Amino acid sequence: MTVQAQILPGTLDLLILKAVSLGPSHGYGILLRIEQISGKALLIEQGALYPALFRLVRQGLLKANWGTSDNNRRAKFYDLTAAGLKRLRKEEESWNRLVSAIGTALGARPEEI
Amino acid sequence: MRLLASIRGLMSAIYHRSRAESDLDEELRAHVQYRADDLGRSGLSPEDAKRRARVEFGGYQKFKEEGREALAGRFFDSLLQDVRFALRVLRKSPGFTAVAILTLALGIGANTAIFTLANAMIFQHLPVRASNRLVVIWINNMEHSWSRIGPAGQDYLNWKDRTKSFEDLFLFEHGTGTVTGQGEPEQVAGLRVTTNFGDFFGIKPFLGRTFLLEEAEAKNNLMILSYHYWQGKFGSNPSVVGRGITLNGEQYTIIGVLPPEVSTAFPGDVVVPFDNAWVKRADSDLGVFGRLKKGVTVEQASSEMNVLMQGIARERPSRKGYGSVLVPLESVRVEYIRPALLVLLGAVGFVLLIACANVANLMLSRSVGRQKEFALRVALGAGRWRMARQFLAESTLLALLGGGAGLLLAWWSTFLLMKYVPSRIPVPNAADTVLLPTVHLDGTVLIFTLAISVLTGIIFGLVPIFQTLRCDVYESLKEGAKGSLSSPRGNRARAALLIVEGALAFILVIGAGLMIKSFSNLLSQSPGFKPDHLLTLRIKLPDDAKDSPYKDPKQQIATFQRFLTKIQAVPGVQSAAFAEIVPLTQDDMDMGFFVIKEQPPLPPGEQLSSDFRDVSPDYFRTMGIPLIQGRTFTDYDNLDNARVVIIDESLARHFFTNQNPIGKHLQIPDSRQPEREIVGIVGGVRDTGFDQRPRPTIYLPSLQDSDQSMSLVVRTNLPPAAILPAIKNAIWKVDRDLPVFNVRLMDEVILQITSAQRIAFLALDALAFLALVLAAIGIYGVTSYAVGQRTREIGIRMALGAQPGDVLRAVVGQGVKPMFWGLAIGLLAALGLTRLMSSLLFGVSATDPFTFGGVAFLLAAVALVACYIPARRAMRVDPVVALRHE
Repeated sequence: MTVQAQILPGTLDLLILKAVSLGPSHGYGILLRIEQISGKALLIEQGALYPALFRLVRQGLLKANWGTSDNNRRAKFYDLTAAGLKRLRKEEESWNRLVSAIGTALGARPEEI
Repeated sequence: MRLLASIRGLMSAIYHRSRAESDLDEELRAHVQYRADDLGRSGLSPEDAKRRARVEFGGYQKFKEEGREALAGRFFDSLLQDVRFALRVLRKSPGFTAVAILTLALGIGANTAIFTLANAMIFQHLPVRASNRLVVIWINNMEHSWSRIGPAGQDYLNWKDRTKSFEDLFLFEHGTGTVTGQGEPEQVAGLRVTTNFGDFFGIKPFLGRTFLLEEAEAKNNLMILSYHYWQGKFGSNPSVVGRGITLNGEQYTIIGVLPPEVSTAFPGDVVVPFDNAWVKRADSDLGVFGRLKKGVTVEQASSEMNVLMQGIARERPSRKGYGSVLVPLESVRVEYIRPALLVLLGAVGFVLLIACANVANLMLSRSVGRQKEFALRVALGAGRWRMARQFLAESTLLALLGGGAGLLLAWWSTFLLMKYVPSRIPVPNAADTVLLPTVHLDGTVLIFTLAISVLTGIIFGLVPIFQTLRCDVYESLKEGAKGSLSSPRGNRARAALLIVEGALAFILVIGAGLMIKSFSNLLSQSPGFKPDHLLTLRIKLPDDAKDSPYKDPKQQIATFQRFLTKIQAVPGVQSAAFAEIVPLTQDDMDMGFFVIKEQPPLPPGEQLSSDFRDVSPDYFRTMGIPLIQGRTFTDYDNLDNARVVIIDESLARHFFTNQNPIGKHLQIPDSRQPEREIVGIVGGVRDTGFDQRPRPTIYLPSLQDSDQSMSLVVRTNLPPAAILPAIKNAIWKVDRDLPVFNVRLMDEVILQITSAQRIAFLALDALAFLALVLAAIGIYGVTSYAVGQRTREIGIRMALGAQPGDVLRAVVGQGVKPMFWGLAIGLLAALGLTRLMSSLLFGVSATDPFTFGGVAFLLAAVALVACYIPARRAMRVDPVVALRHE
């Protein structure tokens, strides 16, 4: 069993964009995909996914269409828009910068100052 | 872009609310179902799987709520937040809020009130077909300064044959008649119309039908009732069509009832038709309306009509020298009151601007105090757009609250104003009056108030926004808690607002000053008679009817004589007399030509003209018209004796320069006896209005000249309501079937004839006073704020040896200087603008130097006082206290 971590505030949007960028999916599918790609390390409160999804749709980063799922149920499918893709690239880049900066900072030794 | 997206979200959220709601529900429920399926596959029982899935999902309702908000967008949300914040801020400074709301309520209320009047009177259409293409056609004769007289039937027929500008012409005559056989005899007001009546106005009768064109070919006694007459007389009986009714002793058939909405256009009781023969012989004082063809302007039609009139004059010499006057029907109705309303509309606009400037000033002063707060929030990352929105939310909220209070104020003041407006107003130069439309607050007015409230909020909200958004965050944070002590930019903005206020207030007070002077000029004009304690009413002998006993002129004269004898015996009647037309009542007109026998004949084509009045012997004494020379009429001046006339001063002056008119003879063409001796000269009477000069008038004894309809004038010291029944009874003792109508006090008549000036006078004075008070509050507020801000500086100056007088001069100077600039600008603007109200002014020029000087002095004095009060506080500043204040 891996140790599950609460996701950082503000990173849910990034995770959703990433998950959707791997292929259109409905809400539950996105949830499963995030769990899957994070190696089940990230814990998302399931209901919290939806306000975030709607926000992203309204911002024009995702588009939503009603369709049928593999087990023949009606479901709303989310897909990335061009703006969404651009945003994802930008966020990825700034996340990486942040991570490396924090990493460098945490790796600092007294004699380096 | 983001804003657009928000709006789209909001719109779709509103329009597709239920759809979105069910979609949302379905999506969330599907999620729980998927999860339950997955859990079920891992071995849980279906019930347990379902329960577990729900638990894992978390607060279903909470997420649904959040989801809904996310769908609608944050626009709504943050708007609500802005409003809530603004409310909190406003509640925290109740003084500021109260002053701002009151100021705005006055400004917006005044605007709503005046707009309500203007909306009802200027902007509303008559409820008839193509009302904007209907014009009134009069004839005129400028040689005799007859500017608007009713044409004759023959004119109408000629025009109808020849004109190409009009689709159709309509002829009518106002009249009164007596309805008998249905209870008490009753005087009804009616219209006699050409049979195209229904089609011309596009009238869809409420019951029955209107006239048919061919019904003019013979005399048809048909009648259409007005809605109100039908309601009152026939109790809204739907089977009234086809019934008979007796009018002036003749039997008529009721064919229809007019719809209620046209009663503003045709305020009479009954409508009866002209027949062709009647139109041919109808001699004068008729009304003609024309409906212009589409695309034809009034100017084009006017020039065509004037050409037509020249052709007509060649065929009918009696029309030589006549032209035509065309005025759109809708503007005729309000012609008299329109200039007053337009001036008032302009004036209230100024008041609103002053109110805006005042509140902007208040907000500016406050925003300087709050500068540190704003700077801090900007430093913490608040967007400037967001901050601006907050300002706008604050100002719009204030304006809406002000607008709400203003609406109440407007409701009350229109009510008050309407008390001073008579229900009928004169048509200028046309011996006619029209019914004023009723005034009430309606949807249009509400929308107007809402619109100007929002606009106002934005206007005065923008000023502090620009001020604050340009401020330097760093500087503001660094400075003391009191904000920038005297930041030059803020001071400049405040001074600019004061200049605007000063200028606007000056213009308004000038306007009011001119109006006061003009109105007192007007009221101090003597009409030429004593209008107090005079009661007047009208009697018409029904000589239209076939078997009328009043066909004979001698019988008419004798009947009026009998009335007089009875009325003079009524206790409380000091004196009583009959006159064909009573001055200022706009009842009728009687004008004509005359020749002075003793003077050399005039060149051909030239004629002397005058007003004619038939009066009974006691007329001059009853009216209080002074006798200047000679004698007045006596009972001896009857048909058995020599024909005589009395002329008025103005005729004597015009046509008998350096001659004594007494004993000279006038020859009057038409049916009147050809030669009459002048036996007296009386004072001139302003017959058509206070602002008109007395017109040359010839008085004929009514014992020598018969009339079918005459006005009674009674001088009495009793209240009119008390004496009226006795007078009516006296008349009915002579003829039981005679109705008595147009009962009026002369004082009321005068109120009506001066109503436009009265409205302008009252409202403009109120507005100017408002402007003055607002400007004073503005300058006081700015100065006292400046004193508060400069306490420390003043303390230092005084500690360094400045005298209280120096401080006073400095503070007063700061407030008064922009005010004087404002006065200077206002003076220049007023010189141009007051010319627009010159038609309302009487006996005073639009650039009257005394008014301008006086008002400048008044405003300067008000500005000085408003500055002096806070300045005195500055003078008393204790340097020690002020410095310790830090």
